[in-house]
Amino acid sequence: MDLNKPNGTDEFSTLGKTLCWFTKTENANKIFLVLAVFCLALFLADFTYHKHGHFHIEEIPGFYGIYGFFMFTALILVAKVLRLLIKRPENYYGSKAIDNEEYPTDQLEQGSK
Amino acid sequence: MISILPTAFIFIAAALMLGLLPKGHIRGVILLITPILAAWQVWNLPVGIYMQVEFVGQTLDMMRVDKLSRIFGLIFCLAAFLGNLYAWHVRDFIQQIAALLYAGAAIGAVFAGDLITLFFYWEGTALASVFLIWARRTEGSYHTGMRYLIIQITSGVILLAGTALLYRETGSITFERMTLSSLGTWLIFLSFGMKCAFPLLHNWLQDSYPAATITGTVILSAFTTKLAVYALARGFAGTELLIYIGAVMTLFPIFFAEIENDLRRVLAYSLNNQLGFMVVGIGVGTEMAINGTASHAFAHILYKALLFMSVGAVMLRTGTSKASELGGLCRTMPRTAIFCLVGAASISAFPLFSGFVTKSLIMDETANQHYPIIWAILVFASAGVLSHSGIKIPYFTFFGHDSGLRPKEAPIHMQIAMGFTAFLCIFIGIYPDPLYALLPYDVAYKPYTMSHVIGQLQLLCFALLAFVVLMRTGIHPPEIRAVNLDVDWIYRRLIPTLYIIIHAKVVNAFLLFEVVANTLVQVVIKSLYRLHGPETGVSRMRGVGAMVMWVAILLGIALTASYF
Repeated sequence: MDLNKPNGTDEFSTLGKTLCWFTKTENANKIFLVLAVFCLALFLADFTYHKHGHFHIEEIPGFYGIYGFFMFTALILVAKVLRLLIKRPENYYGSKAIDNEEYPTDQLEQGSK
Repeated sequence: MISILPTAFIFIAAALMLGLLPKGHIRGVILLITPILAAWQVWNLPVGIYMQVEFVGQTLDMMRVDKLSRIFGLIFCLAAFLGNLYAWHVRDFIQQIAALLYAGAAIGAVFAGDLITLFFYWEGTALASVFLIWARRTEGSYHTGMRYLIIQITSGVILLAGTALLYRETGSITFERMTLSSLGTWLIFLSFGMKCAFPLLHNWLQDSYPAATITGTVILSAFTTKLAVYALARGFAGTELLIYIGAVMTLFPIFFAEIENDLRRVLAYSLNNQLGFMVVGIGVGTEMAINGTASHAFAHILYKALLFMSVGAVMLRTGTSKASELGGLCRTMPRTAIFCLVGAASISAFPLFSGFVTKSLIMDETANQHYPIIWAILVFASAGVLSHSGIKIPYFTFFGHDSGLRPKEAPIHMQIAMGFTAFLCIFIGIYPDPLYALLPYDVAYKPYTMSHVIGQLQLLCFALLAFVVLMRTGIHPPEIRAVNLDVDWIYRRLIPTLYIIIHAKVVNAFLLFEVVANTLVQVVIKSLYRLHGPETGVSRMRGVGAMVMWVAILLGIALTASYF
């Protein structure tokens, strides 16, 4: 976390500090590891019970995991290509859209902690 | 009292009363009590038809209560209550009135037993809801509201046209199950499809919802589209076409949501995707599938409202809902972050959260009825939901890179509204039986089986793993300030541009025509002048003697001729 930011961690509430743990770079590896172990456990769990799906393909151990992993990746890759085609500057629709205008400040209740 | 007043009228009466009350908390209390009263009435009304009114020779059924309309009526009341609680701080009279009338119209439409009553409330939702967009009071929201209104009103006009044709054909205006066999029913189907954001007809949703006010979007997200889902479930259950339409609806928005920067527009795409699941359920049309659609609509209204609420709270504090500008807000808005995570887990259908116990009804029934490809699409779309609503919304708002923003936690009434909604999401997930008991048909379904829980967890956790891998390798697309084109480009850009081009061409053609015509007329006038003008042969003055001589010659010829 960038310590140059105006507020140090000390000023956050306990809950804030707890959640802050997940955002720290040094913890990223731990989170990744825990997730990977959990995924492995879920994969192995498939061998412990009799699967009764609607389709034969569901009986492949780890079917949902494999499908989820690859389809998610495919989704991101396709979305990246899509972005190349349809991305336009924020003021593309000019004053007839809200994309390029500020939200009226009189309707906000801004304020820093 | 219960059986003499349609539920919608409670909202209309409250809206009329609101103006008489002083500004401030009293109005807020009315906004909260009205949906509670309405829910109490709906809960206590036995199944049946109430409030039949004669109108130009037709009998209008203002209140048709059965199990399908009741569950939608109840969730609409609940959504109105939660939305108004979230908007407790709003002192804008226009928005308060609009929220009441909009909820009332949606509930009125749900209980409409005939197509004419449905039409009135259908247009009512359009008219009332547009003020939630205009209440932002900017030029952009004005134009967006106009686009929204045109499409919504068109949907109503098509509904009326379809009703007229159907009446001519069958002599009945009762709103019941229809088949796509005549122009009339096709028009009604199209009208429902416009409001339900069918593919290619969907873009009003992503265009307008992010343009509404912070609280307005929360209220908008509940009614219009779910009213359309109800109308389709009532009118077109078992129409196979809907399975394919629904599957496309689950699929295409996930790609757009992935690269969209405005988080409220991401949620609008995600809403579109969730509607797809419901539409597939309606298309399958079995009792279990309709149960799935009704329960998923119920759960969906709650978690979608919760997600819009959490992003709205962030917007209230920071002034923006753009992912590129946000990040790391969990430090100072930890409760909002947790409520958002509950919404994210619910929409992603993690076990113990509401989406898990409702979406699986639809997916299992799709598999039961042997639609393997549709089923595979729905499983893929479920991973897609995790991608944009489950990960993107909370991650890029509350975690991710630190934007340096240190906003205050959400106001207390917003926290209460979000906390209560989050509680309901978890409650339904852990203990779905009360929700199942409300469904149109009996439920014999156990969501918590070993294979279902493990399968779903595998799908979601491996997808999460893929996300982490893609983030760490830098492949995941970054959030950047941009807009993305969608079908609305046709009527927002292409048609106006074509109009300008064609207009210029037509004007030029007219100018050319004018020049040619002028020249022609001048030529004609000049040549006539040359022939008949004062100096020319035709009009030259001649003496009387010459004329007499010519007459004499003619006479002579005539006489000579008569002798032969």
